[in-house]
Amino acid sequence: MIELVIKRVSAGLLIVLAATTFIFFLANGIGDPALATLGPNASAESLEDFRRTHGLDQPPLVQFGRYLGAAVQGDLGRSFRDNQPVATVIWDRLPRTVLLMGMAMGFELLFGLTLGILAALRRNTWFDTGFMGMAFLGISVPNFVSGPIFLLVFAFLLGWFPIGGYGVDFGDHVWHALLPALTMAIIGSSTFARIMRSEMIDTLGADYVRTARAKGLHPARVVLGHAARNALLPIVTLLGLRLPFLVAGAIITEHIFAWPGMGRLVIESITSLDVPVIMGVVVITAVSVQFGNGLADVAVGALDPRVRHARS
Amino acid sequence: MPSTRRSESLAGLVGLGALGIAGLLIAVALPPAPTAPRYAGAGHETPQRGGTFVFHHEADVRGFDPHIAFDELSNMGIKLMYEGLIDYDRDTLELVPRLAEAVPEPSEDGRTYRFRLRADIRFADHVVFCEDPETAPRPCPGRPITAEDVRWSLEHMLATSTGSPGVTFFELIEGVEAYREGEASHVSGIRVLDERTVEMQLLRADQTFLFAMAMTFAYPVAHEAYEVYGDDVARHPVGTGAYILERWEPGVQLDFVRNPSFFIEGQPYVDRMVYILNLSRQAAVMRFRNGEIDHIHRQTPADYRLLKSYPAWEPYRLEEPKVNIWGIGMNCELAPFDNRHMRRAVAFALNTERWKRARAGRLLLSGQPIPRPLPGFDPDLPGQHHFDLDVAREEMRLAGYPDGYPEPLTLTMSDGETARFYGELVQQDLRAIGIEIEIRQISFPIWLQQTGTRRTVLMALQGWSMDYPDAANFLDILFHSRSIHETDSENKAFYSNPEVDRLLDAARVERDRPTRLGMYREASRIIVDDAPWGFTFSDLAMEMWQPYVHNYRPNPVWSNFFRDVWLDLPRRRVALWERAPTRSVPALTPFGGRP
Repeated sequence: MIELVIKRVSAGLLIVLAATTFIFFLANGIGDPALATLGPNASAESLEDFRRTHGLDQPPLVQFGRYLGAAVQGDLGRSFRDNQPVATVIWDRLPRTVLLMGMAMGFELLFGLTLGILAALRRNTWFDTGFMGMAFLGISVPNFVSGPIFLLVFAFLLGWFPIGGYGVDFGDHVWHALLPALTMAIIGSSTFARIMRSEMIDTLGADYVRTARAKGLHPARVVLGHAARNALLPIVTLLGLRLPFLVAGAIITEHIFAWPGMGRLVIESITSLDVPVIMGVVVITAVSVQFGNGLADVAVGALDPRVRHARS
Repeated sequence: MPSTRRSESLAGLVGLGALGIAGLLIAVALPPAPTAPRYAGAGHETPQRGGTFVFHHEADVRGFDPHIAFDELSNMGIKLMYEGLIDYDRDTLELVPRLAEAVPEPSEDGRTYRFRLRADIRFADHVVFCEDPETAPRPCPGRPITAEDVRWSLEHMLATSTGSPGVTFFELIEGVEAYREGEASHVSGIRVLDERTVEMQLLRADQTFLFAMAMTFAYPVAHEAYEVYGDDVARHPVGTGAYILERWEPGVQLDFVRNPSFFIEGQPYVDRMVYILNLSRQAAVMRFRNGEIDHIHRQTPADYRLLKSYPAWEPYRLEEPKVNIWGIGMNCELAPFDNRHMRRAVAFALNTERWKRARAGRLLLSGQPIPRPLPGFDPDLPGQHHFDLDVAREEMRLAGYPDGYPEPLTLTMSDGETARFYGELVQQDLRAIGIEIEIRQISFPIWLQQTGTRRTVLMALQGWSMDYPDAANFLDILFHSRSIHETDSENKAFYSNPEVDRLLDAARVERDRPTRLGMYREASRIIVDDAPWGFTFSDLAMEMWQPYVHNYRPNPVWSNFFRDVWLDLPRRRVALWERAPTRSVPALTPFGGRP
């Protein structure tokens, strides 16, 4: 088990380093941050000053070395745009995105698992076909289509939800996050429902489930305690893999619903070539995705002895 | 397995069917969208005090340091919290005094300007004026502003360490160069004569100097704020304006409250200004129609058409040209555009009427370098560009290519769908005179870099927006040979004509306004004739406000400038459209005065 954790952590670190390197050279290669920050009317001297102050006049490798050196000590630099420490800028936004993604994932699991189990139990009925059909559709409709439609119908015309925004206090934040989280959850819950259904069909036909039934256990216990529990394994793995998609989905959804999280931040930073913030977001996202995936791997290991033994 | 495939396709069909039924149900059951304002004013004729005005922007604000900020959404806040010595009249674009007693007249040689401050102006109350700002429990009274503040502010803005993008506009003040190079501790051309008088000495006479003094870069700031907050001052604005920043929730919302010591008695009218950030265009339009925000300034094409089709909104919307110009810039130093006829062929082949139709009429067509709202624009300018295929073909013949140009030419533009859209229109238009265009899209920063470098980009989609409302801001920057540099050129067509240079230099110092405008018209005529750009259009922007919002009109210089609005309260629900209010309240803080 410990070996598994060590392997996972070192692989994760390598991936974070690779992502950081790649994005650093990409972000610095796509344009001149001095020009992007100071604008087209800036004089040649102020551009020079800007480059000197931010170390942009150094060779790229030196810049990267300095960045890495500072980053491992927790210093992500300062935003070109407003000179705020990158950590502060991101810390303002991170909890908001975490709340949105957490709620989205909660909805994905709630709807996905429930529908998956029900569809498997009523296999090949109209319920099954109907919901799987909807799931099929759910996977196919991207957020940038469903988001504006939800906003128009449920917020503007029906008035059930607020028209975007963030709200006043925690309760209000949750209330404002409902519609965007539901939008983000459509794709995930559809995926989970389809996988849960097929896993459940497998486990429901397994010998140990038949044995449990023969022993006279309550049907709910058979389904939830025996069949569903085993069907959950691939879902746990999938949860880890969903993280990057949720991050990508958050970028679009936050824009549509005016949710002031990291997604909005990353769009603004890219358009203004605010390299320190772009880097900060990438590093933090890469670390969290690696952490999430690692956690899922370890969880699967803990849940399924076969994985543990196969790897050790 | 066939059976699985069948069940999957059945599932797909059922899904589509379900969606269709759901769509139908929604379409039938949904309440209709409102086509008229939801609220009307109480009917007062005279300005009322009180209430909360809610406005928005779709991006996030950088900060409120007037010496650094150079973008629309920062200026929306800066104009609420700061005042300049002088400003522009909204309708005539003439200069009017604000913190200064009068707009100064230049000295006989046109090189000296003397500003005298009003006696009754104080900075807004702030903790930076307390003895110990870090522990002060509440703001201390702001101190009176002095001529020394004006000098300190300008010198701070001009200092190399500040990195202000505004320095260019003030390089004419005597001693700026020595000051920026560290050879002098003060700018010799800025002299404090007494407590309330400051004098500026220029290197040479320049009629645009006062325009620079009306830019936010010249706004007086409190040095105490810079000393206390250092780099973070942009988040702690201390000005002399009508409002004070009360709260800033990053990326979400800003709240401004009335400055009780504002120098104009009885103003501002509105108690609280709420500035919502990061609100997408679609969401903003929905909130606006719901009566949750009071002003919108950008719409998607679909919303634009919809809102324009509602007659009930007619009195509360205005479509005005932005003070900008767009065109196809052609590099006069590179073949084939070193040939004047080739450039003119392109300029007259652009079918801008068709462009306008394709953009739902949201363009103001203009075939000359001075935008319509500015003095110097001449609706009857001879030779201005317009679509005329015969002229274009004749110019191709004169250029020596009667059967078209033999090789494809590259049109460079920044990324984005709108740019691509125009690129394709150019491509289609020029095909008619036998020019094949290859479109090359690059990111905006790279576009800036490359188009500003000599002998690099052949033709590019060009645009320029006003810094200050004067023809010089367009002609000098875009077409004077002084604006040509090896890199970072502002004259991106690399156009050089000694006669144009002479006219522009003369206009810069000419004090008689009609003579001066005549010079700009003449320069425009020559430029249009030489066609370094194919001039095409200015943007039109539609702004809308709620019926109970008064004293607001779009300002050509300051976008979304709300300092002087008043609200006709209590607003009342218009009976046409009755519906329970949603829970969506855009403010973070309780609305108080808002009904």
